[in-house]
Amino acid sequence: MSGVIKGLGTFLSNYWGVIAILVLWEAWVNISGLNAIVLPSPVSVFLDLASAPGLYATNAAQTFIVALLGLILGLAGGILLALVAWASRLLNGLLTPLGLIFSCVPVVALIPIIARLLGYDMRTEIAIVAIAAFFPTFVFVGAGLRALPPGSDDLFKVFGASRIQRFLRLVLPAAVPNLMIALRLTAPEAILAAILAELLMGTSGLGFMFREASGRFAMERAFGTSIIATITAVICFGLVMAAERRVAARWQ
Amino acid sequence: MTARSDGLQRFMLGLVGIGLFLGMWQVIGVYRLAGLTWPPLTDVLAFITDPSKQTLFGRAITASFSAVITGYGLGVVAGIALAMLGRVVAVLKPGLDRLIAVIHAIPLVALAPLFMVAANRDATPPSIAALGVFYMIYVATTSGLNAASATHRDVFTALGASPVTRFMRLELPAALPAIVSGMKLAIPVAFIGAIVGEWFGASRGLGLLMVSAMQNFQIPLLWSAVLIVTASSLALFGLMSLVERLTYGRYQ
Repeated sequence: MSGVIKGLGTFLSNYWGVIAILVLWEAWVNISGLNAIVLPSPVSVFLDLASAPGLYATNAAQTFIVALLGLILGLAGGILLALVAWASRLLNGLLTPLGLIFSCVPVVALIPIIARLLGYDMRTEIAIVAIAAFFPTFVFVGAGLRALPPGSDDLFKVFGASRIQRFLRLVLPAAVPNLMIALRLTAPEAILAAILAELLMGTSGLGFMFREASGRFAMERAFGTSIIATITAVICFGLVMAAERRVAARWQ
Repeated sequence: MTARSDGLQRFMLGLVGIGLFLGMWQVIGVYRLAGLTWPPLTDVLAFITDPSKQTLFGRAITASFSAVITGYGLGVVAGIALAMLGRVVAVLKPGLDRLIAVIHAIPLVALAPLFMVAANRDATPPSIAALGVFYMIYVATTSGLNAASATHRDVFTALGASPVTRFMRLELPAALPAIVSGMKLAIPVAFIGAIVGEWFGASRGLGLLMVSAMQNFQIPLLWSAVLIVTASSLALFGLMSLVERLTYGRYQ
């Protein structure tokens, strides 16, 4: 019995904020007397989700694939350029400040320009996500390649490791934790950028679904899309966290 | 001496890198290497400074910047206030953390229907900006409030300081560097929030200008709007970096 009470206490202490929001929402709907066209009830949103599971699933899958492909391309590009900058002092001096500046630019604001440059296309969506992931990866991996554990470089030299060996066995592994930080920072942004690109260009995916639904005031569909978008983002973030834990366990 | 000339050399190389980037922008635009949708830098600058466009830009800038400022201000105040509340009333902390993590897991886009229902359309940009800024500041302040060492805390307690004095004289100053770092990182977030909010159908602003220019092939207008947003975001980010450096110098 006391166990149950204790469990309830922990639950309340963890979730009082979430519960409060839900109660406030419910109360606000009831008191202000908004009708269902303006604010759909949770039940009608779930009914809409259940009525077209295939539509939701294909669009969510498309957004997820765009985000994933863009993320992979952006990470690969960022790592590659970081390696190039590591190998050449001149390029490092030229590129690092630019990379720092671009990693602070709100990339989302660049979507309209990229869309106009590359055309309304799924490849454009992937490119936008890739650009969003590229600059933080470049900055973080670049810093990681230079932040070797103290003394380790001397140790490798003393034992007569060649430049290639030093690179493969010391420098590259040293950058992996920073790569994971970049991944954790860019993964949520990747989903956001994918949805926004779809929304602006109106091609396909969750962003398009959302735009289409709010255009014809189908609020159940708009809220349903929001729920699916949140689930997609949470799955994406969960995958990244799991990958980060794996890497941390292997690298510490 | 060598360290200083090294730093100078890196600074010069960085400037050359930025110069090369701007030069490439110009060359690509002049020779149409990326098609008709990439204007030369000088065309964009001429468009921004064109006197006949001043009212257009003036109105959009006023709308967007007031959304950024309002959202940023609200987010900073709410973030610091709630983080302090969680610190002072320890019972509330787990629930607050959970609530804020849940809110953060929802992509900003997915919250749009809620804002469109709850607030009027022109209130959406500052609200979305405030939400993103709030998360950044809350996280930064929470981690900053843990920055004071246990030894320092013990000294205050042993010398008979009240919890309030300890908070004001020790924990808050110790948290200041982290809060300022959070405020720096929140600047692009505020801009993204305001622009994305405008995409959901505000009646004026730079974000709206971008979308309509994109859809109507008004290339110089499109690039001008994007340049104004990114340049202002970068300038404020740079300003906050200076403030950050001063704060770290004074409080650490």
